[in-house]
Amino acid sequence: MAFVEQHIHDAPTSFWSKYIVSYDHKVIGKQFLWYGIFFLMVGGLMALLIRWTLAYPGVPFPVIGNLLFPHTNGVVPPDTYAMLFTMHGTIMIFFAITPILTGFLGNFCIPLLIGARDMIFPTLNMLSFWFAMASGVLLLGSLCLPLGAAAGGWTSYPTLSTNLGQPGVGQTLWLLSLFLFGVSSTMGAVNYITTVITLRAPGMGYFKMPLTIWGLWLTAILNAIFVPVLGAGLLLLTFDRVFGTTFFLAGAAATSGKGDPILFQHVFWIFGHPEVYILILPAWGLVSDILAFFSRKPAFGYKMTALSLSAITILSTVVYGHHMYTTQMSPLLTQSFMTLTMLISIPSAIFFANWLGTLWKGSIRFDSPMLFALGVVFVFGLGGLTGLYLASTSIDLYLHDTYFVVGHFHYTMAASVLLGGFAGTYFWFPKMFGRMMDERLAKIHFWATMLPLNGIFMGMMMVGWAGMHRRLYNPFIYEFMHKLIPVNQFITFSAVAMGLAQFIFLYNLFKTVFSKNYPAAPANPWNVGTLEWQIPSPAPHYNFLEIPHVKCGPHELGNPNLPDGRDFQYQTEELVKA
Amino acid sequence: MDISFSERLIGMIATGTELIVKAEESMGFWQRISPPEDISSTGHLIEWLFFYTTYVNIFWFALVCFGIFGFSFLYSKKRHAKPLYTHGNEKKHLLLTAAIGLGVFLSVDMVITKVSTRDLKEVFWNFPENDPDTIKVQVLAQQWAWNFRHAGKDGEFNTADDVVELNNLVVPVGKKVMIQMTSKDVIHAFYLPNARIKADAIPGRFAKLWFDTNKTGKFEIACAEMCGNHHYLMKAQLTVLSAEDYERWTNESQERAIATNDTENMDLRWGWQWGSK
Repeated sequence: MAFVEQHIHDAPTSFWSKYIVSYDHKVIGKQFLWYGIFFLMVGGLMALLIRWTLAYPGVPFPVIGNLLFPHTNGVVPPDTYAMLFTMHGTIMIFFAITPILTGFLGNFCIPLLIGARDMIFPTLNMLSFWFAMASGVLLLGSLCLPLGAAAGGWTSYPTLSTNLGQPGVGQTLWLLSLFLFGVSSTMGAVNYITTVITLRAPGMGYFKMPLTIWGLWLTAILNAIFVPVLGAGLLLLTFDRVFGTTFFLAGAAATSGKGDPILFQHVFWIFGHPEVYILILPAWGLVSDILAFFSRKPAFGYKMTALSLSAITILSTVVYGHHMYTTQMSPLLTQSFMTLTMLISIPSAIFFANWLGTLWKGSIRFDSPMLFALGVVFVFGLGGLTGLYLASTSIDLYLHDTYFVVGHFHYTMAASVLLGGFAGTYFWFPKMFGRMMDERLAKIHFWATMLPLNGIFMGMMMVGWAGMHRRLYNPFIYEFMHKLIPVNQFITFSAVAMGLAQFIFLYNLFKTVFSKNYPAAPANPWNVGTLEWQIPSPAPHYNFLEIPHVKCGPHELGNPNLPDGRDFQYQTEELVKA
Repeated sequence: MDISFSERLIGMIATGTELIVKAEESMGFWQRISPPEDISSTGHLIEWLFFYTTYVNIFWFALVCFGIFGFSFLYSKKRHAKPLYTHGNEKKHLLLTAAIGLGVFLSVDMVITKVSTRDLKEVFWNFPENDPDTIKVQVLAQQWAWNFRHAGKDGEFNTADDVVELNNLVVPVGKKVMIQMTSKDVIHAFYLPNARIKADAIPGRFAKLWFDTNKTGKFEIACAEMCGNHHYLMKAQLTVLSAEDYERWTNESQERAIATNDTENMDLRWGWQWGSK
């Protein structure tokens, strides 16, 4: 395993080499963290503008409305509204959640948890961040164009996203930005896959890796295979827009040749469905670990969990058609996709059972990472189960493109992934910065996030079932939705509350990172035995002075026969017989 | 920004306030979040499966909640200081996990897939095309309006006696309505919440769907697929008339169509041969 020699390099000295073009996976991880937090704030503000418009159409946005939309006295105009939900989706998926879960947690955790000194391709890693940066600049830059940014939805279905529906340069920049982002995340993914395969510490077999690494590794595999598929679709669409090809043009719009807009949907969702799992797998992995650590028990059915995560990874590649039921594919395809989608519930049920098995007869500590991990179990339970409605083709005839879908995917992608990201951040924070975040604030942050979060997304599913469809500037044009005004206002208030709650996190984060004379964190504050907790906090730039030799699994906690009153053992120690 | 736009916005604010006042009318919570009235003979199939799924989900989610909250209570550090040392990989553990997986498979996957497939095969995909009683309508979606074409007296589409309506689909009550649909520009979706159905209108393709009605009145048809900045304004009306009213409407609009149709104007001839691909 450790057949790659890992040298200890000198620590970088200048600000430039230490913080800007760093090759150190930990610094790159932190760069992705700040990047993700910045875009979370941008995307979150957009979400609030959207929510305001849905609850109070035609009413000026409070406080900063006049500043943002001086021409309309602070009211969000319809074209801006389309731009907002397009950019909200794009930013949250590609520029907030992906950087935090894979960019930040992937970079930070992989070498530390497998006992490596760095990623196997440090230069590629650094390039991956700077490509992401270029891509982010392009996307934000597109907001300043005269015709504005892309406004065809984050799925950018042609023919709306061709010159026919989006004449501005914004859509082209959107395509190029996402293409660059794809290059960046593919670089990262290739790096992660290879690092996990080649740099695991001697003795660490695949079934001795922490489940976090399983999640990140499977994510990287999906990412490396399927993000290039999106890249192909984006390039073809760019050709349609810039060079006059007609890959996706049909009907009256196709003046020459004959393309097919549905082709893009296939390409998009071949990528798009695995993308959902690209986002959620790291969260599942780290939740599996954190539940074990804070229940002071080995992860229940470790192998089954790892295998069911792998099974879901494989299944996720063959279910994408459930996003396209209303395009009326052949019945054979439709029913195959429905059946395959349903099958995902079996491995999901298995790892859910294992999660609860981990809690069973544990000795549970409710530190902030654990609270967030339990939160993930709760919201993903809801998000996963509501997927069953949408997987069923006949129910989807009614629910497709309604707020039910929006509620469902926010439960899985926004709620679960975000809570998972917070769990990971609070958990590894001492190893990142050598300081502990304020635990009391973290707990307040949890409850202040969790309660409104359910208000928002449960509310969305309710209005969806009542028939409210998506992407409406003013839903109350429709009479059957008049009765939904109070529910929409409730959702909006919940969203504002959840948005405000994030300032608790930001305050906690900035206070801990930047205040002077903050007490240093111990090397192993949570008393767990994975490799990263055996080195000092914060981790030195070379991580491990000696490459560790792994002798037991990652969650050896609660063994009654452990010596000197400890209730956990390090992975480098010989397994104590129970 | 031009004045008309600001004026429109002010108008919208007024409408908004008016709507909110209307919505204040007392209404039970469940009624508020129920779907619009079902006017079809097929909508209850979707509701049945929805509620079946809900009940099974409540069962499984209750188990999850029992695990989260129950175990958190029973096995907190205070109450349960000594954790049980188990890797959960004994035979009984694996059997229990497998049983849960199987339980989900049987209670959820099998039933939903089976019922859904049956409904699709027997109802939603069982198009009444060969039924002579079916009302056939061609739909052309465009940014941001719906065009509806009835064949007229001759039963042939794309002829001078076709009745074409903008944003108003007129059908007789109790009859099956079969729609063939395409789009002029971008992808739209025909969404009739009162019958719980939806299908995409895609440029270069024909989509088809059918529904029936059991109630006269005016209902709303929406575009469900994002189709541009004014997607939200792409609303049409479904007018369901009694048999006599429909007969009268057909005759009147037939005469009007024959009198006013400009046979030279090719733009009016957007229809197609029924069933042609």
